[in-house]
Amino acid sequence: MPINIFLFLILMMAFAMVAAKRLTALINGFRAQSFFLFLLMFVLAYRSGSTELYVVAALLFLIKVILIPRMLHRVVKRIKVGEDLGLSANPTVSIFAAIVLAYLAYAFTGMITGIPAFFVSISITLIGVFIMIFRMKALAQIVGLLVMENGMFLAAASVSGGMPFIVEIAIFFDVFLAVMILGIFVYKINSLFTHIDVDKLTELKG
Amino acid sequence: MNRIKALGVINAVLHLALSAASVFLASYVLREGPVSGFDFFYIDALSAFFILTISVVNFAAALYSIGYIAKDAESGTIKEKKARAYYGLFNLFAFTMYFVTVVNNLGMLWVAIEMTTLVSAFLVGFYNSKKSIEAAWKYIIICSVGITLALLGTILFYYTASRDGGVTSLNWTEMASVAGKLDPNVLKVAFLFILVGYGTKAGLAPMHTWLPDAHSQAPAPISALLSGVLLKTAIYAIIRFTSIINICIGTSYSDRLLVFFGLLSLGVSAAFVVVQKDIKRLFAYSSVEHIGVITFGLGMGGALGLFGALFHVFNHAVTKSLMFFSAGNAVKKYKTSDMNAMRGVVNAMPFTGVMLIIGAFALTGSPPFSVFFSELMILISGFGQGLYLQSALFLLFLAIIFGAVIYHISRVVFGKKPSDVAAEGEPLSGKIAFIFLLVFTCTLGFKLPALLSGLMTSAIGIIRGA
Repeated sequence: MPINIFLFLILMMAFAMVAAKRLTALINGFRAQSFFLFLLMFVLAYRSGSTELYVVAALLFLIKVILIPRMLHRVVKRIKVGEDLGLSANPTVSIFAAIVLAYLAYAFTGMITGIPAFFVSISITLIGVFIMIFRMKALAQIVGLLVMENGMFLAAASVSGGMPFIVEIAIFFDVFLAVMILGIFVYKINSLFTHIDVDKLTELKG
Repeated sequence: MNRIKALGVINAVLHLALSAASVFLASYVLREGPVSGFDFFYIDALSAFFILTISVVNFAAALYSIGYIAKDAESGTIKEKKARAYYGLFNLFAFTMYFVTVVNNLGMLWVAIEMTTLVSAFLVGFYNSKKSIEAAWKYIIICSVGITLALLGTILFYYTASRDGGVTSLNWTEMASVAGKLDPNVLKVAFLFILVGYGTKAGLAPMHTWLPDAHSQAPAPISALLSGVLLKTAIYAIIRFTSIINICIGTSYSDRLLVFFGLLSLGVSAAFVVVQKDIKRLFAYSSVEHIGVITFGLGMGGALGLFGALFHVFNHAVTKSLMFFSAGNAVKKYKTSDMNAMRGVVNAMPFTGVMLIIGAFALTGSPPFSVFFSELMILISGFGQGLYLQSALFLLFLAIIFGAVIYHISRVVFGKKPSDVAAEGEPLSGKIAFIFLLVFTCTLGFKLPALLSGLMTSAIGIIRGA
């Protein structure tokens, strides 16, 4: 049963992120979600006794619980932008939207398989998209992408017992690299525009 | 300054060697069948065809880069260190594109395509201006979201392959071999995610919104690579998944989706091409059009339609590169990409002007250029299968785009030259890349080399799941 508890907590963290009004809260939400994802993977590894799953869980902990949140916090500090997330939908509306998204995920995954983990994974993927669209800070878009990525990770673990080992490793590496590069671009945006509000990036049209 | 030029020449020689190697590889694959190694690499005729296309455009872009980057360094737009970084990124970008075509594992294919985005984002943001950084940001964010959906599609393919087919790897060869046993309902959903996900990277409407920004802000040789071959690597990924689903449930499901997205892309690009003011964005929207043509052709199915689609992949790659090179020259000369300020190119730079107008006709599918022949094949296939409405729409959109592109480009080429733009001769060294590409555009319609037609014919078998 601990699996279902962790799944519930992973989903709750997605809701917490949707309700967050400040960047640090958003990043901490992501860290907590990744931590519960790690616990879930750890239980799966323990049950199957597979070394590969232990390695995947350890990498998850290292990259998504420690390295990426630390880097994001550092960026927030360094560029000294306001903590405000630039909500274009207020927390109440956002929570409501997230519930609707979770319901859609429930209806959709029911067509393919009834596995609860798959339902949670699609829910948080959709919520990740929501964060990317309705939070106007460039950093929030990175977090939204990471939440989607967590959803994919959970999907792979739930419907197929994890992808082949080499692919998991490659995807980790890729996500890490993507966040690094996006971080570099956040610095560039900040130094050129003196803000990181993506809704004000409107030089290119038509 | 000479060091940068020397670097450019070395780079071009390297890519010439790679082109020669890919011709050798292609003929080997045709003769001996697919090559595979380490349970990781797999190169069949379809891969070899894309490798060949990539190598040709890479070589042309490397040639064109020599003068382009040297000029940027001379005018102080970029520092020497940055020029060296350019060549580093150029090769990294080329490497990731080759990597997409040679991996057997569909998970690694995903990783490779994401790597192409990450590397090329630096090239899109190369000039570090507000516009180029904005374009790079949108590019990386939109494509990453798209590709996450493609990952979901890949996971679902793997789900049914491992549950119903008993396959424990993500290798395309193994998935294709058990395709008949897979769950059709899961495949249908999975394919939708694949098409939307990789379609974002390919520039299919309505997920194309990153494309005009990225193509217009990148340095011209990179625009050619983005449009000419990067989009095609995403098409390659779509084709790989299409062949699995085609074996399982027949072609009608994938065909309908491909035709729909193809026509939508054509329609959207037609609208934007008509009202376009920026020359590089004009060609960027034309890329959306041609990706639409390719997708439409893939969806037409039938040997002729598929042959036309693959042929179009190559034709568009060479012709669009030619156009981005010409536009790059003109933008450098006029110091703007606004077509209203860019007039009389044929007086200011005769060679570039001639290339622009020839290229405009070639690109929009006028005979006797090769694009005409591939579009004709797709159209004949469409009418032949009784898809009259779809084929008529296809023709209508092509006609609108033809009129709009010729209108825009003829004003740019033949208009009255602004007095502050001096006429100048162009050195022969700057023309080689153009002539190299022009030869393909002009001759392929009449005499298709046996190697190319052999590759495409075998590739058709692979797509149809034979």
